[in-house]
Amino acid sequence: MTGDVRQFVEEAGHETAGRIRAAARLLSLAENEPERIPELFAGMAEWPEPRMVVGLTGQPGSGKSVLTDRLIAGFRARHPDRRVGVIAVDASSPYTGGALLGDRVRMMRHATDPMVFIRSAASRGHVGGLMLGIRGMVRIMGLAGCDVVLVETVGVGQSEVEVAEVADLVLVILAPGQGDGIQLLKCGLLEAGDIFVVNKADREGADRLASLLLATLHLTGDGRRHDHPAEVLTVSALKGRGVAELIDLLEKRCAQERDRWRERRSLAVEEEIRLAVLEEARRQILHALGNDDAAAEQVRRILRGEATVTGLVGRLLDTVAREHGAGSERS
Amino acid sequence: MSGTADREGLDRKRVPARILIGKAGLDGHDRGAKYVAHVLRDAGYEVIYTGIRRSPEQIADTAIQEDVAVVGLSILSGAHKILFKRVIDLLHERGAGDILVVAGGTIPSCDVPYLKELGVAAVLTPGASSKSIVETLDALLKQRQGAA
Repeated sequence: MTGDVRQFVEEAGHETAGRIRAAARLLSLAENEPERIPELFAGMAEWPEPRMVVGLTGQPGSGKSVLTDRLIAGFRARHPDRRVGVIAVDASSPYTGGALLGDRVRMMRHATDPMVFIRSAASRGHVGGLMLGIRGMVRIMGLAGCDVVLVETVGVGQSEVEVAEVADLVLVILAPGQGDGIQLLKCGLLEAGDIFVVNKADREGADRLASLLLATLHLTGDGRRHDHPAEVLTVSALKGRGVAELIDLLEKRCAQERDRWRERRSLAVEEEIRLAVLEEARRQILHALGNDDAAAEQVRRILRGEATVTGLVGRLLDTVAREHGAGSERS
Repeated sequence: MSGTADREGLDRKRVPARILIGKAGLDGHDRGAKYVAHVLRDAGYEVIYTGIRRSPEQIADTAIQEDVAVVGLSILSGAHKILFKRVIDLLHERGAGDILVVAGGTIPSCDVPYLKELGVAAVLTPGASSKSIVETLDALLKQRQGAA
């Protein structure tokens, strides 16, 4: 399979008929087999990188997918010879593990454009609004020649801010009618944004929300980077109003901050490997905890005061180390 | 993450199969397609839903970008012979002939042999129970994995 990876990387890196197919296979690999991410990343330093990675986040129904569609069209019109990539994440069911990925429905007019590469992904129980492997997926989009990559998170509330670590710039999409001024004071999402898009400007209340937002954000004067005040734009993605201004702003920020982004991206790749390690550890510990009955008995022993949580964790780690014959590697 | 998800969902099917569900051609009756998407979602599949009135080119390109294992198309317009042929041809042309194609909708039984000959892996017609839909797909995927 290592051979396959190399072949896919080779194909995905050149403008051939099989480029997108190969890149799509690599994306599946990054998504399905986090334990193989280090292998995938081996030659990554040589890969071309996207010029700009833009995150789009916000509540369900705030218009992220429609805005993504408009941004694709806008970037394609400005740079006809450059590819746009999209990773659109929707939620997995916590009950069945299944998912309905429907963001793409809003972007279908781009489906046959060879310079647009759209990939839907399910969150697969990963909290944070994205999924495991996302950082690698962004890099694979870069390998496949994407100039701009748009990362659309699941519809999020307050604490899903992982996109801030993955994207160069984070757009927080809001729509009128989703809460009063107190909501804007709460922690989380609003702290993660670089640019705030008040969408659905064709509806009543958008201007009021925009001024409320401005007042709240400028109260303390800091955006996520603390060196750049957060900006607020009013947009109607549906009617296409304000989208050109938004792209102007993204291009401006890209020109100003590109060097700093590069630095941060290398940290993101390290973080991805750390996350892959944690995921594999979680899986092995879950396995060591045993099936339903054994796991339940372990928990009952803690309840009866015959064991402690720390003690149980220690024993599970020992089991994992024994099973993998790696006791000597533990330090 | 809840324990339920670990035991019954995400760990049992650690990597959920991806399936495209959509409608091709001039046919806006999407109740069946949405029903099947919902059933498969609940059976632990990751369903990429494309919506109505898609061209065979849109379906094939989407299937490739999404790296799905199966394309399931619902067709009630009567144009199934032409549309399935086109989708299957396009997938082969683009080096994705290993993606399974499954047909659903109002397809007369006399057309089933033709579709099977084209390479359609299964034909599910009105009245197919949710259980039989899931079982058919599970079996096809198992077969596909074995062949890979």
